[in-house]
Amino acid sequence: MLSVVFYPLLYNFLLAFRNMSLYHFQVTEFVGLRHFRAIFADPSFYSVFAKTLVWTVVNVFFHVTLGVMLGILINRPLPGRAVMRALLILPWAVPQYISALTWKGMFNYEYGAINLMLTRLLHLAPVPWLSDAFWAFVAPILTNVWLGFPFMMIVTLGGLQSIPQEMYEAADIDGATAFQKLTRITLPMLAPILAPAIVLGVVWTFNNLNIVWLVTEGGRPADQSHILNTYIYKSAFAYNRYSYAAAFSVIVFLILLGFLLLTARTQKRQAGA
Amino acid sequence: MRLAWAMARVVATAAVAGALVLAAGCGRAPGSKVTITVWEQMDPPERAQFEKHIAEFMKRDTNVVIVHQNYDTETLRTQFQTAANGGSGPEIVFGPSDQVGPFSVMGIIQPLEQVEGLGPAYFAGFEAASLDTLDGHLYYAPDQMGNHLVLIYNRRLAPRPPGTTDELIAMARRATVPGRGGAPGTYGLVLNMVEPFWLAPFLAGYGGWVMDARNQPTLDSPGMVQSLRFLSDLRTVHRVIPQECNYQVMETLFKENKAAFLVNGPWSWQGYRAAGVDFGIAPLPRVSSTGNWCAPMTASKGYSINRNCPKGSLPAVVALLKYLTGPGVQAENARALLTLPSATAAYQDSFVKSDEFLRQSRAAYSLGRRMPVVPEMRAIWDAMRPQMERVLNGQTSPDSAAKNMQAMALKQIRLMKE
Repeated sequence: MLSVVFYPLLYNFLLAFRNMSLYHFQVTEFVGLRHFRAIFADPSFYSVFAKTLVWTVVNVFFHVTLGVMLGILINRPLPGRAVMRALLILPWAVPQYISALTWKGMFNYEYGAINLMLTRLLHLAPVPWLSDAFWAFVAPILTNVWLGFPFMMIVTLGGLQSIPQEMYEAADIDGATAFQKLTRITLPMLAPILAPAIVLGVVWTFNNLNIVWLVTEGGRPADQSHILNTYIYKSAFAYNRYSYAAAFSVIVFLILLGFLLLTARTQKRQAGA
Repeated sequence: MRLAWAMARVVATAAVAGALVLAAGCGRAPGSKVTITVWEQMDPPERAQFEKHIAEFMKRDTNVVIVHQNYDTETLRTQFQTAANGGSGPEIVFGPSDQVGPFSVMGIIQPLEQVEGLGPAYFAGFEAASLDTLDGHLYYAPDQMGNHLVLIYNRRLAPRPPGTTDELIAMARRATVPGRGGAPGTYGLVLNMVEPFWLAPFLAGYGGWVMDARNQPTLDSPGMVQSLRFLSDLRTVHRVIPQECNYQVMETLFKENKAAFLVNGPWSWQGYRAAGVDFGIAPLPRVSSTGNWCAPMTASKGYSINRNCPKGSLPAVVALLKYLTGPGVQAENARALLTLPSATAAYQDSFVKSDEFLRQSRAAYSLGRRMPVVPEMRAIWDAMRPQMERVLNGQTSPDSAAKNMQAMALKQIRLMKE
């Protein structure tokens, strides 16, 4: 625990206050808050931070919505349910790296499967998925939604199994509609099970690197599709600005820590109420 | 704070060193055998040749065990930096010459001319163009030179190479055939439009270059503006190139006989042969408006020695380096991989002397310009790439892009040195 969690964290914190870079690689100096000042003075920090928030909210929203919908759907006795379940879990089972590169290929303007479907089947104009700043941000979101919903679906399925069947039977006797059963029994009963999964989902999504980096080839076009972690990665490993990147990651850590503390406090308050 | 930092560094060094020794098998095997670890970024055909050579070397010297680990170029760079800074890593690292700049500045590789056995007599056996010095030191021993872009033409779609850019465009226009029913057709020209390495030959052809002799960026130049316009016009005016053309797209189209001309380097030629494409290579054409040849960037690939290489292993490391960069091995590689040897004596080999591919490759190479190996090149590439994309997307004009590139490169270089 000390060597794999606390030590790297401490090392990162210490590095953030030094000047480790290409030209100060082996002998470094203490520079205080210089990197933090530089980050907060840089307008790109705020735009990348805003993009990261959008990225996180949109992804988690679709992960949960799709996951819950599909979880409820395949929890019912349907023909071919086992096959459907296996197919829906598939995105989760494929290594992220492979999925991201496959999606990148599918987003090609002329030869990608998505534009071919849009143009040939729907007779729509092709979308410049990877060469336009807006669509280059949408492309990794679509990829990550596809990758992320199975987790929420599995959590939902687990939660649905734990809801006593008697509750639905009692609701049936009382003449409740399917919508009433969903809003009064299923969703309230799922909420405590989904809450930790959503918190985890937020942290994972906020901290995501692979998908944005691989789908957009490192923030393309023109570094306009970065989220915080890809921006940090590029600073550290493209420009060798190790201490600057460490300071950036301290900020990300503090943002997430703040979110977790807030969530814990809210849950505690709800539990006490 | 200082004490905490010092302790953190000691623990980091020990942890990284320990982990890497265990992971990479760096160090000595039991008994008197010397183990040499090589980290490389070779592609599969090159790696197969390398494995053949090291097996032969181990047969000759049974006291040496060579293990090697393959990485992609970027991973090799970051892994080696981390390992060497932690006091460990492989004895030898193999890669392109542009990784030598950052490694030498970081002080994690040795100046080879100071290593016993690799003095001036050894380096006198190399083609002068294959050697790069940094601050007067030679940091790597090349086993090939080139890495240069050439014009590759599909003989089914274009019978001969063009002499000028105007001719290239005219021939490419004739070869461009739209697909039927919305299906992709055949293109006259394909190149990696989003990589500055592919813009560099045209930049030189229009009279510009990436940096001056003092390693200062020279991106805001008329040559840059004209070359960006040329690139953009290929798509928007002449319509001879796909809308989005990156490396994968150009490779696929050329292998499927759907592109008449392709701009790519020696590493790709064997793949086109394997795909059954009937193709020839030629130097990139002259720019019609200036009369200058397009000058591809040239570079070498070679072996560097880790500064942490144990002294006891150095004689074996030197022997291995001499063997792998010797004319015999390089001539054999030229046959198998079509690479240009860096050892002068290898040019006496009958195949190297007579092969048409190598002859054309050397002609293209001779028109090229040496890629600067200084770390500032990283800032140059990263400043060029986004602006190229903005020009291609119509978000900015070539004039503004050239100005922005220059400003961004200067800023990045300043930040790199902070």
